[in-house]
Formats: sequence, structure tokens, C-alpha cells
Amino acid sequence: MVVRAWRSPFRCMVPEPSVALAGPVLVVDDEPAILRALTVALRARGYVVRTATTGQEALEETALASPAAVILDLGLPDIDGVEVCRRIREWSEVPIVVLTADGADDRKVAALDLGADDYITKPFSTPELLARLRVALRHRSQAGREQEETALLTVGSLVVDRARHRVTVEGRAVVLTPKEFGFVCLLARHAGRVLTHRTILQEVWGQDYGTETQYLRVYASQLRKKLGDDPHRRRLITEPGIGYRLVDPDADDPS
Amino acid sequence: MTRPALVPKRLYGLAAGLGTLLLATAILLPFRDDLDTATVALVLVLPGVAAALIGRRWAALGIAVTAALTLNVGFLQPYGTLKVDVTDEIINLIVFSGVALLTAALAGRERDRRYAAEERAARIEALAQENLEIRDVQERLSAEALALNLAGEHRSALLRAVSHDLRTPLTTIRAVVSDLRDGTAYDPAARNEMLDLVADEAERLTRLVANLLSMSRIDAGAMVPERQAIPLEELFEDCVNRHARLVRDRKVAFDVPLTLPLVDADWTLIDQVVTNLLANAVRHAPAGSGIDLAARRCGDSAVEVSVTDQGPGVPPALREAVFTPFRKGPGSSSSGVGLAIARAIVEAHGGTITIGEARRGGARVAFTLPVHGA
Repeated sequence: MVVRAWRSPFRCMVPEPSVALAGPVLVVDDEPAILRALTVALRARGYVVRTATTGQEALEETALASPAAVILDLGLPDIDGVEVCRRIREWSEVPIVVLTADGADDRKVAALDLGADDYITKPFSTPELLARLRVALRHRSQAGREQEETALLTVGSLVVDRARHRVTVEGRAVVLTPKEFGFVCLLARHAGRVLTHRTILQEVWGQDYGTETQYLRVYASQLRKKLGDDPHRRRLITEPGIGYRLVDPDADDPS
Repeated sequence: MTRPALVPKRLYGLAAGLGTLLLATAILLPFRDDLDTATVALVLVLPGVAAALIGRRWAALGIAVTAALTLNVGFLQPYGTLKVDVTDEIINLIVFSGVALLTAALAGRERDRRYAAEERAARIEALAQENLEIRDVQERLSAEALALNLAGEHRSALLRAVSHDLRTPLTTIRAVVSDLRDGTAYDPAARNEMLDLVADEAERLTRLVANLLSMSRIDAGAMVPERQAIPLEELFEDCVNRHARLVRDRKVAFDVPLTLPLVDADWTLIDQVVTNLLANAVRHAPAGSGIDLAARRCGDSAVEVSVTDQGPGVPPALREAVFTPFRKGPGSSSSGVGLAIARAIVEAHGGTITIGEARRGGARVAFTLPVHGA
């Protein structure tokens, strides 16, 4: 009997890099064991890895080694991980995925709002982390950015036609209000990535909004109904305390 | 309201009045033929006033009447007889009495007011005293509330610290296990390295849990050693063997003389002390450096055990503070119960534990145990 490992929904959305990245992956964590585990995992998949154990080292490595991606622990001993994130974003668009211990919700959201692409909570599943890393890489790449701007966004069987303001699920048209359309459209453009409440509110409702998470709860639940979201294979995922994520639930077919 | 002090005052009043009366009479009597009745009358008002000021109104009245009678009998012709049918005499009597009574009344009111004031003052002082006591109680209560709050915060802080310490090895374990199960092709070296990581972190978790359990036993006052006669060299070897992985990048050396006596101790507990000290030494000493486990006789009835590393050592200012449980050292991510537990165990055996400096600058942690049979 083969025990099939749980596969993250994201894995098949973006395959392992067959083309070498434009730089190493920088892994930053003050715990040597975690650093080692991630280094081995990344190298086994063909990535080049550099490591750092402090915020200061992280900033130096990012500046000197021009990494293609950064995995950043928020609980660093010298500088707050959120601050490191902010400083990196001052001059770099490198994809950043943050590692957080649970209960540090404010800092997760702060990091995401300051430009981190995604997050994962410790203890995490390595394949899950790497999948989020790949999503972040894709979105920040040239191809990814162009993809976001196309008129037709496809996330599995969900298709968002931005030109005609139409959404279809498995070919079936879904009637959405303007805000609902805006919500789905934004999430589809950043398919696979988490978007914070603030980001969604500001993009869809306007700059003056930012804290009305109850609106999002209502809209999310309405959207789930209209899209026919199956609770066992969710498309629209709630990240409690953080925001929302739109994924392709059919991506974990056995291959 | 009782005024015990006033009872004698009545007598004083009478005495004063009588005294004044007698005095005045004695002075004026020789001159009664030459003096005007009015003058004598005026002077004889004074005894009544004196009695009124010092005594009460009845004494005053009594003296006043006596003074009037004295005036009548002693200073009006014919001398020595009481004249009752003269209008002047009646007026004299009335006036004397009136003045005496009024003075008594005034004096009395004055006295009443004074007493009331004194009593109020006494009551205020009593209230002030009570107030101070209440304030004291309040301060004590708020200090206790603060202490409880602090204890609550301490507990939260230590729960956070413990959570962090448990989560860290679990993160590595889960990261590795999830990765290996994902089916990526690993070369044997990488795979072994990953499994080594899991093994190390699992051991770390085991030590942490043992420490936490000890910590809770210490808190509950249930740290009671089961003593046996223990050969320390055996305990050291056993301990280091069980933690071979922990010390694999360090050179552990034993220094135990053959003549060392057995010690009276609980094997499991002392093993835990040595484990904690070893773990600390490994954490602080660089790879490849030496860790010395030594034991030697210390006086007639004790043995001193020491664990020495070649790390940065502990600055003198911190050598007591590091024994405080759940106190994080600078840059340390450990919740820091190891030394606190070591101390509790050593002290439960009647020994002491201290940190000193090793010859080459590292830390030397030494503790004493009683010699068996001493």
C-alpha cells in the first residue's frame, strides 16, 4: 500500500523550476536545525541556497547576493522580521515568504502589508512552504506580471473575464454584483497568494477603507455560495486573522 | 457625658468663693465705718464671680448668697444683725446672685465649648488614626494585587517561552518529515542528514519535557530525592553515552580519581543535572572544543562535581541570575529552566551549585553532593 502524502492545492499550479532561478534562495532563521532542514530540502529540488541567522545578515545577503527569493523568519534575535521586510522592500521586489510562530497575527499581517508575498506558520509542511514560494516567484516574474494583466484569468475551472465583467465556473455563468466581481477579480489576479483584508478593502472598496473586515466576511460567504464552493475542495480560502486566498482545488489530482 | 474632673471642681469653686469672701471681709471689716456701702457691695460681688469661674452655678449661687448675707450682717448698721426689710438688701441679694449666676453660666458655656472642642479633637485624631490604618491595609492589598498581576504576567511569559521552546524542535521535525513524505528524490547522504536532524530535535524535545516535568514537581514541592550510594564515574559515563548525539562535536573528558568515595544521591535526578549542564556546555562551546566532567573530594563529607566548557563563560554579574527559571540569556532562545532545575535538585540533596570561571575563560559549573556514609 502506498501512502499518498497530502498534496497542497498549489503544487500543481506551478511546477518545480525547470529553469534555474536568477539567483539563490536566501533562507533566514536563527534556529540552525530549521535552516538545515530547509537548505537540504531546497537543494534537493535544484535550488541554490544561501543562509542567514540574523536580520542584519539577511539585509546584507539580500543586497550582496541578489537572491531570487527570500524565506524570512519573523522571530529573529536582532531586528524584527517585519522591519527587515520593510527595509528590503525599500529597494527590492524580491519575493518574500515569511515564517511565523502562531499567535503573532499582527506581525504576519504587518509583514504582508509591508510587501511580503506570503506567509506560513511554524510548524509548517515543507512542500506547502515551497508551493507558496513558487506562487510568489511566479507572481513577481515578468511572465507572472503579464499574466495578471490579461483579460482572461483562469484559476482551475473558474474563469474571470475582465473585459466583459463575467465569471464562469465550469462553463456556467455566475451573476455577481460589482463588488463581488471586484473581490474575485483581485484574488484571481493574485491566484494562490494570500491577500490581506486591508489590501482587498483598499483595492475593491477604496483607499478610505481598511478595517471593515466584516464586509469581507459577508462578501466571501456570498461568493462561496454563488461559485458553488465545495467545503471539501474550497476555492476561496479564509486565512483567519489575515485575509483570503483563491486557489484551484482540483490541483491535487493524483498524477 | 461624664465629667469626673468636675466633681472636685465644685468644691474648689466653693473653696475659692469662700476664700475670696473671707479675704475681702477680713480686709474691709476694719474699715467698715469709713467705707461706703456701695464700695463694700461691689467688692463682695467678687467671691461669687470667683466661685462661678472655678465651680458650678450652685457653688456660685451659694457663695453669692453668703456674700450678700455677709454684706447685710457685717457691713450694715446695726452690725451683727440680719436686716431683711430693707429694699437695698433685697436688691443687693438679687444683683449678687444675678452676677454670680450669669458668670457661672458664661463660665459653664465656655467650659462646655472647651470640652466639646477637646472631644471633637480626640475623635478627629481617632478617625485620622483609623484612616492611616485603612490606608496601610489598602496599600498592602494593592501590593498583593500587583504581585498577583505580576505572577499572572510571569505565568503568561513563561507559557510563551515554553511554547516557543516546544515549537522550535517540532518545526524542524515537521519540516523534515513533510518533505521526506513528499517523495522528492534524495540522495542517501541528504536523507541521512535530514533523519539526523529529526533524531536530534526529538532528543531535544525529550530533554525539554523532562525538565518541564521536574520544574512542575519543584513548584509543587514534590522534589524528594531517593538516595542511593552512587559511583559518580559510572553516572557520568552512562549519561554521556545516552547523549552521544548531543556531544558528538565536542571532546568530552572525565577526571574522576579512583579513590573518590560514593555519593549519597538520587541517580535519576543527578543524571538530569549532569544532562542539563552538558546541554548548556554544548550550546555555548564551539564545535571541536573540550568539555571536562570532573569530581573530587571536598572536605570530609562532600564531593564536588564540575562541568567545564571552552565557551565564552558567564560574566560575574550574571552568575547568580542565570539560575532564575525562565530567564532568557542575551540572544538565547531557550526558556532557561536547566540551571534552575539543577539548583533545585542539588539543594534538595543538601548541596550547593555555583558558576565560576574556567582556566581558559569558559564556564565552570560546580556542585556539591554528600559523601555516602559520612
